[in-house]
Amino acid sequence: MAKPILAVDQVVKSFREGRQEVEVLRGVSLEVFAGELVVLEGPSGSGKTTLLSIMGCILGPTSGQVRIAGEAVNGDQPRSMQLMRRNRIGFVFQDYNLFPALTALENVEYALTIRRRGGRSPREEARRVLEAVGLGDRLNFLPKELSGGQKQRVAIARALAGSPPILLADEPTANLDSATGAQVLDLFRGVARAESRALVVVTHDPRVRGIADRVLAIRDGRLAA
Amino acid sequence: MVSLARKTLLHDKARFLSTVGAVAFAVSLILVQIGLFLGVLGKASIPIERARADLWVTSKKTPTIDFAHPFTENAVLRVRGVPGVAQADNLIVTYAPIKLPTGAQENCLVYGLENFEEWNLPWLVEEGNVRELNRGLNILMDRSATRRFGPFRVGDYREVVTRRFKIIGVTREADSFSTVPILFMSYRNLQALSELLDGNSTYILVRLRPGADVGRVADEIRRRLPYNDVYTRDDWARQSRAYWVTTTGLGVQMGLTVFLGITVGVLTVALTLYSSALEHVKEFATVKAIGGSSWEICRIIGEQAVIVSLSGYLVGLVLSLSLKSVIATHAGLGVTVSPQFALTVLMWTVVLCLAAAMLSFRRLVRIDPMLVLRG
Repeated sequence: MAKPILAVDQVVKSFREGRQEVEVLRGVSLEVFAGELVVLEGPSGSGKTTLLSIMGCILGPTSGQVRIAGEAVNGDQPRSMQLMRRNRIGFVFQDYNLFPALTALENVEYALTIRRRGGRSPREEARRVLEAVGLGDRLNFLPKELSGGQKQRVAIARALAGSPPILLADEPTANLDSATGAQVLDLFRGVARAESRALVVVTHDPRVRGIADRVLAIRDGRLAA
Repeated sequence: MVSLARKTLLHDKARFLSTVGAVAFAVSLILVQIGLFLGVLGKASIPIERARADLWVTSKKTPTIDFAHPFTENAVLRVRGVPGVAQADNLIVTYAPIKLPTGAQENCLVYGLENFEEWNLPWLVEEGNVRELNRGLNILMDRSATRRFGPFRVGDYREVVTRRFKIIGVTREADSFSTVPILFMSYRNLQALSELLDGNSTYILVRLRPGADVGRVADEIRRRLPYNDVYTRDDWARQSRAYWVTTTGLGVQMGLTVFLGITVGVLTVALTLYSSALEHVKEFATVKAIGGSSWEICRIIGEQAVIVSLSGYLVGLVLSLSLKSVIATHAGLGVTVSPQFALTVLMWTVVLCLAAAMLSFRRLVRIDPMLVLRG
């Protein structure tokens, strides 16, 4: 049986708000396999962004364990979390979070420089990935010169660059019109299948359900059956 | 390799230019002020540095070369007898009134020596021959005297104290700290101008034999001339400069200027980098979210500080060198910006800009990458 690329086991996350301890995640467990597109949906405040942050090694769990490619993540060690983010995870953010001073090509190249992957030069690799997402003619455009859909494609290219096995996307279609959103979803689907990457998408968008392998609903910090 | 630090810095041109402007202002303030200070201070010791004397014998507690006190000229005989001394001669340095063609009277600083060539005094002769000084009532006048005494030519006559002297040549760089112009005349002519100098000298220049121990010779001269002071060339030059620094408050003023320049520069760089960092806080959070380390954040801030410091320094240096020629032309003041001094300021500019960047670094290194997911 295939091993999961991402495994979350009985994860609890609580935050202190004033004098109160608020439990946002209450024993969440899930597994994601390579080539699988998993949608995580739920109402605001249900804990889905917190879960995505824990899976992306941005937050450490209060208890429970996260394993990435079989390796346990130590949530108490920022350096270990940073290395996981660098080597195993690609992020796509709702607001794109591109660097405004860098062109599309440079945005992707910079992420590759941080990931320090061997092989072809970061610039060549960035060009290849951007061409793959259909932005070969927008390489030297600054983010402000790109449309919302194009910005999201650059963000996806940045997440794909360096071939991290796990892609995590936070509301990737929230700021896009329906046609552009559909294109972005097609792109995700293609990437998950063609490159055997695990893709977890947090969304409210019902269109995303249609292309997902699995849809997980989260309510009050628990995965709904 | 793409530089996020450089691109982000240059992306906001107005902010970048204002930061570079602040650094350039601070750098030029420091370069020009200290350069002026060094230039002016150099005048306090330039004859000492140019004269070929290893030791200087002065009267007791002489504060600086310009303010000499007489002592018996026969003391030179005792110096000549000290083992290790190759040559020793009397030198008189004294203020004297000079009458100008306008009828006005000014002061000049007169150097009197028997053998000028032997001691490399004056060190830069633009016109005329120093040997002529011993052949009659002749003087050499420094070019810088034009500012105070008005224009003069070789062949003109000037009355010093009560005697008319012929200007037989022109020197350069013989400029005193007090801006009183320097004249050179023969030892005997100068001695004859004042009863106070009759049979007296104000300095003894001493040259040592090759291999002689400077310390030992100085000690022996001190033993033989207990009512005089003996200095090595470097010590005497240092003391002559130190006198002006401490008695005129020049040192305190210079220290304040440097402090202000540094404070303005560091504060501006620190605040600009900090406000820029706060404005780009989400970008730094993105760097962390996509796998960048704290070191990467440090590198970005550090690179920005280095770019700002180098750009500001270059602009400041060009500005200072331009001001240098303007100051020399219009104020007649020298601004000394030696390569060593310029390099020292460069080094400190980079170091202080990096220190200024620490404020931003402390803020950004703790940034939570979660920020990019919270929207």
